[in-house]
Amino acid sequence: MQEVVSAISLGSIYLLFALGLSLTWGTIDILNFAHGAIFMFATFTAYLVLQQVELSGFVVVLLGIAVGAVMSLLIQVLAFEQILKRARTKRSAEMQILIGGIGIGTIPLAIAAEQTKSNPFGLSNSTFDVNVFEIGDIRITNIAIITIVVGIALWAATALWFRRSKQGLALRSIGVDAETASLMGINRRQLALVTMAVSGGMAGLAGVLFTYSLGAITPQSGEILLIKAFAIIILGGVGSLVGVAFGAFALAAVETWVLSNTSGSWTDAVAFGLIFLVLLVRPSGVFGRKEVRRA
Amino acid sequence: MSTWYFSNLVLIQATLTGLVLALSVQVPLRFGVFSFAGVGSYGIGAYAAALLVIHQQMPALAAIGLAVLITAVIGLLLGLVIARLAGLYLAMATVAFDLIIGVIATNGGTFTGSSTGLYGILSDFTMPMMFTLTLIVLGLVVLSEHGKIGRRVHAVRDDIQLAASAGINVRRYRLVAFVVSGALGGLAGSMNVMVRSTVGPLDIGFNLIVLALTMIIVGGAMSWKGAVIGAIIFTWLPSLLEFVGKWQTLLYGIIVAVAAVLLPRGIHGVFVDLTRWVQRRRRKPAAPPPAEVAPEPDLEPLMTGPATGASGASSSPQGTPSSTSLLRGKA
Amino acid sequence: MTVDQTQVGRPEESSGAAVLELRDVAVHFGGVKAVDGVTLRLEPGLIYGIIGPNGSGKTTLIGAITRLTRLTRGDLLFDGSDYTAVRPDRLVNLGVARTFQTVRLLPDLTVQQNIQLGADARTGRGAGKEAAPHGDLLSKLKGFSGLAASPPSPAVARAIERTGLEGFEAYYPTELSYGTQRRVEIARAMAMNPRLLLLDEPTAGMNQAERAEISALLRDMRSEGGLCQLLVEHDVQMMIDTCDYVFAMNTGKIIAEGEPREVVQNPLVQEAYLGRKWREHA
Repeated sequence: MQEVVSAISLGSIYLLFALGLSLTWGTIDILNFAHGAIFMFATFTAYLVLQQVELSGFVVVLLGIAVGAVMSLLIQVLAFEQILKRARTKRSAEMQILIGGIGIGTIPLAIAAEQTKSNPFGLSNSTFDVNVFEIGDIRITNIAIITIVVGIALWAATALWFRRSKQGLALRSIGVDAETASLMGINRRQLALVTMAVSGGMAGLAGVLFTYSLGAITPQSGEILLIKAFAIIILGGVGSLVGVAFGAFALAAVETWVLSNTSGSWTDAVAFGLIFLVLLVRPSGVFGRKEVRRA
Repeated sequence: MSTWYFSNLVLIQATLTGLVLALSVQVPLRFGVFSFAGVGSYGIGAYAAALLVIHQQMPALAAIGLAVLITAVIGLLLGLVIARLAGLYLAMATVAFDLIIGVIATNGGTFTGSSTGLYGILSDFTMPMMFTLTLIVLGLVVLSEHGKIGRRVHAVRDDIQLAASAGINVRRYRLVAFVVSGALGGLAGSMNVMVRSTVGPLDIGFNLIVLALTMIIVGGAMSWKGAVIGAIIFTWLPSLLEFVGKWQTLLYGIIVAVAAVLLPRGIHGVFVDLTRWVQRRRRKPAAPPPAEVAPEPDLEPLMTGPATGASGASSSPQGTPSSTSLLRGKA
Repeated sequence: MTVDQTQVGRPEESSGAAVLELRDVAVHFGGVKAVDGVTLRLEPGLIYGIIGPNGSGKTTLIGAITRLTRLTRGDLLFDGSDYTAVRPDRLVNLGVARTFQTVRLLPDLTVQQNIQLGADARTGRGAGKEAAPHGDLLSKLKGFSGLAASPPSPAVARAIERTGLEGFEAYYPTELSYGTQRRVEIARAMAMNPRLLLLDEPTAGMNQAERAEISALLRDMRSEGGLCQLLVEHDVQMMIDTCDYVFAMNTGKIIAEGEPREVVQNPLVQEAYLGRKWREHA
């Protein structure tokens, strides 16, 4: 039962992180490979600030969200928009954005690695303290509770907003057919910027919560998480919000099981194997609607 | 000269290995196959060659040959299974493949040396062998960029329906790309093991993918020349930039980011565009005869397609076909 | 336009060997009947046209003929033999070449190389020395090193000459006007030495003068050893000027066929289009 709680807690983190990635990928067709770096660097920034001044946990979270959003916006404006402007075909734009994201992602990583000498860093100078509760024979931390609540709430809010609101509808129509959408007067650029900012904010949020959960992260933490997020989205199906949730908790569940039953060095392989397997057997994912095979 | 050679031997070897590795990703890319499996093949090739030397005491060339054969076959199997995936998904599947190889290497117990890897791999590999192998392989790649195969590869990459209508068996070409990628990756990995005498999981992880990608993006993805440029730059840059020291990775990241955004076809691409621009300028005097109503021949590359070309220069109704509605103006 | 129209193209007559024959061909996409039972015969040496409004199934029909689209039912015969199961990339061997609705030239290859791609496709039938770029060793080396373009193979040279593209060999597609690009496409198709040439809206987006040129070119090509051409066309004038025999399509069926002017006057056809444009040509 303890394992279930761990899995749910882990899954919530995954969900938060993957949600941002899925949002931009499923709607504006941007697979942002710098998402992991944003996740890490937002936390890193908070860490730097905390070195100077003590802050409440809540402020730290806000800081993380803000940094994440700003980073994401910068990347969109300075890099992705430029690529899209000059690309010859949609396919080459896709690849360039992918590669550009990888390249850009190494920048925050390099900065953080240099500053911390690649050692783990945490958010220790904040007023937030991790408390452990015991319910029956299950131990759960307050941060885990917060993460689960925030993760699921944010996911639900996104899903609802997507379905109901005007902007949500606009985003969905961009996802379906960008040209028609722009013909209908929907400001693609604005919407894209908002989406990227929200996505970045989610990454920052995930980073802070994750760091509080684990105590510390390393500059490389974002990289591996990115691959896992990809696995989650592929498993659930690109563009499907239900899919992201399903994928996040499924991956967390399998990883938790593997961790408790094997040596632990195979846990990361779960994500890799999942990617490969899903793309082999059912590339569009469990809940996906996008066509992923060539003609 | 020879002192320079010997003091930089390690770098020279790294350049050759890097070149073949870069080619293992560049060649499939040129075919329109976004596969990074060459990096995984590098790992397989390295470990395979190492194990063959350690356990079978094979001579270097035999070990390399067998390693390449293994990776080529694995490449083929991989291709058969995932060739139908669209660009991005294909890329990710191959990245997953590469990472799985890394995990297998780490978890292989004493057989693969776990996280420390294998070491003390001594063989009869010589530099002439390394140069020869690299040059042979490079030569083959160069040949594949010219003539009939060269043209057809363009079609396979840019327009498969057109390729089919021109009698090209697209599936076969794509499978060949997988096989070649595997073989080249295996060659790079096995050669590297011979000269470095060690191999470990850290050598074949995500970082290698980023390195290969970097070489190709900055050098140029469209041609072997780009791979050469990239391999040279990223092997020698660290020593030239020693003063940059700890900010090396940051600089790399910036270079790749800038290249990806501004120079999508790499340094080689810039060179190609420049050449074509020069050619065009030189051609201007040979433009349509003065009697033509053609607009001023200040040409700019534009997207092809009905929407952009419909308002082209008017043509003389009776002019012989060869002199009418020719060069497009700036409209 | 002086061929005896009563003999040409009618499916019931088996006069000469038909280059292409379709028997009750249908292509359904789920519930949509894009092509719904088409039967026709094409004889060598003539230019046929298919006209119809958007959505009438013209392009799907071409896709079916070129094996890029699967048939729901029916037979495809080339020179009398069934080719319904032949892979699309084998069609060139049979002698089928096509151009596409949008210009599809490879942007990284020169005009000559693009056309050479067509010549490369000729395997068996007229391949070899005709198709391969030739020249002495020095010019081959020059071409190889990129210093100078190698001289075109005979097949390519002929295609260039026929389509009036002399002087453009070293240009890249993006430097050419739309009309010239179209011409390169036709040259590429011609370099394949086809017996059947399919042209999908070859003059889309062109002005009247450009259309007239293409029309003249196609009529000119009729004399190429019995070449049969099938044109999918939107523009009525183009069709009347170029084609010997026309099939009018609507909602996946052939609603009328015959000599262009006849077909245009056919009330069924006019009803399908409901446009003054049609009545003007009556």
